Amino acid sequence: MSLVYFKNVSKSYNGNIILDNVTFEVERGEFVCLVGRSGVGKTTLLRILYHEEPPTKGRVFFEDKDIFKLKPKEVIKLRRKMGMIFQDFKLLNSKTAYENVAFALEMTGYPEETVKKEAKELLRLVNLSDRLDNFPHQLSAGEKQRVALARALIHRPEIILADEPTGNLDPINGWEIIKLLLKINELGTAVILATHDKEVVNTLNKRVISIENGKIIRDEKEGKYLI
Amino acid sequence: MFANLKRIFKTAWQGINRNSWLTIACIIMMVISLTLFTSIIIFNYAANYLINYLKEKVDISLYFKTDVPEEDILKIRDELLGREEILSIDYISKEEALKKFEKRTSSNPLIKKALEELGENPLASSLNIKARGTEQYQKIAKDIENAPFKDKLITIDLAENQRVINQIHSLAKAMKWGSFLTMGVLVFISLVIGFNTIRMAIYALHEEIEIMKLVGATFWFIRWPFLLEGALQGFFASLIALAIFIPLIIWLSPKVEMIFAGFNLASYFWANLGFIFLIQTAFGMFLGIVSSFLAINRYLKI
Repeated sequence: MSLVYFKNVSKSYNGNIILDNVTFEVERGEFVCLVGRSGVGKTTLLRILYHEEPPTKGRVFFEDKDIFKLKPKEVIKLRRKMGMIFQDFKLLNSKTAYENVAFALEMTGYPEETVKKEAKELLRLVNLSDRLDNFPHQLSAGEKQRVALARALIHRPEIILADEPTGNLDPINGWEIIKLLLKINELGTAVILATHDKEVVNTLNKRVISIENGKIIRDEKEGKYLI
Repeated sequence: MFANLKRIFKTAWQGINRNSWLTIACIIMMVISLTLFTSIIIFNYAANYLINYLKEKVDISLYFKTDVPEEDILKIRDELLGREEILSIDYISKEEALKKFEKRTSSNPLIKKALEELGENPLASSLNIKARGTEQYQKIAKDIENAPFKDKLITIDLAENQRVINQIHSLAKAMKWGSFLTMGVLVFISLVIGFNTIRMAIYALHEEIEIMKLVGATFWFIRWPFLLEGALQGFFASLIALAIFIPLIIWLSPKVEMIFAGFNLASYFWANLGFIFLIQTAFGMFLGIVSSFLAINRYLKI
């Protein structure tokens, strides 16, 4: 069974077609680059996958379950199986780096000791052990994205959804994030990386799904950014 | 469960400290609401005191002819005391009446001279009747008009008081409904003000609420710290409102006592401090919790 299955998914806003009859599958442990210019529907596709908005037509399956038939409690469980990182980081500004990561685990009712251990371990993994007590406004863009990545990993998700994670980073920090994503993927977590960064895509040599005008125009196993 | 409670409290406390300006704004609005709320409680008490004070002034006085012996008057008194609607009857002999009159007019030498020239006591013995309720005076007066001892009386002094009795009765009724209505309107206004202030505070954090939803937080996990924050804000607002009231009452009390002799506002306040604080705090926390609940529900949709 595929981990993710988009079946004839379309999305439009006020008559404007954003996604047009998109169908594809992602297997467990797979690394997929979702490429295209800004505004072609990459972010919309990911928003549909993490149940932020419904498709206009079509169905989306995660572990063989139609996600838009799930009850609200089940949607919450679904989101814990996905880790998400965004271009604008989406950190809680009133919490420190440690608290941002710990928060995601506290909600599942783990004891304090376990939360502390797991959160600190993940922040060590992303090389932020010395920034635990800093608030987001005290971190650089690269550090913020690493906190976001640590948070995304706290539930040991099945898949990481990365929406233009390097968009606000310099090339060096950007590559640090991509390397971390590759490392996570090697350990068995699937990754969908939405990006318009040609260099990143062409260096990775992973499966590339190209989107143009809301349609999938290319889906190659070891693809290149050719738009 | 204890761990979760600890987390909720910690998160709520962090929220209060780290968003201090928003917290202060919410608390200030609640202090205003609570001050009005407590003012109405105290006003209600003062109004009831005033009404009872006026009610006590009301009575029926039966003035007896000078040739009616004392034992007859006392017999009439005992007869009347048997009636259900009569609370108490005071007998004032003509000698007592003269003594009281002389004491009241001691500063007026003309009256003293007039009494000396009269040579005898012009005042009559009387019975002052107090009813159990002001609405019963009319009936008592009517019954006395038809009583067999009517011819022993000079006058039944109710007519002047009747208007006052009726006014007091209407005033008491109006105040009861007035303060009930005012309290209701105030609670509603307080909820609206508190809700809008907290709603603005939560709006400022709406992005954070969205992020919490994205990482898989349950609605109650998101909600609880906000509700507790609202309750804590209500509690602190109550403390501040009390701190405002104490010096205000101390300052106001002697001024009020000058107008209403015997009415000590400060004594009432100190005697009921615990109750006032409790009810004020309960209202404040209720306001904080309900406002937070209604405000945050807006953002908890999947």
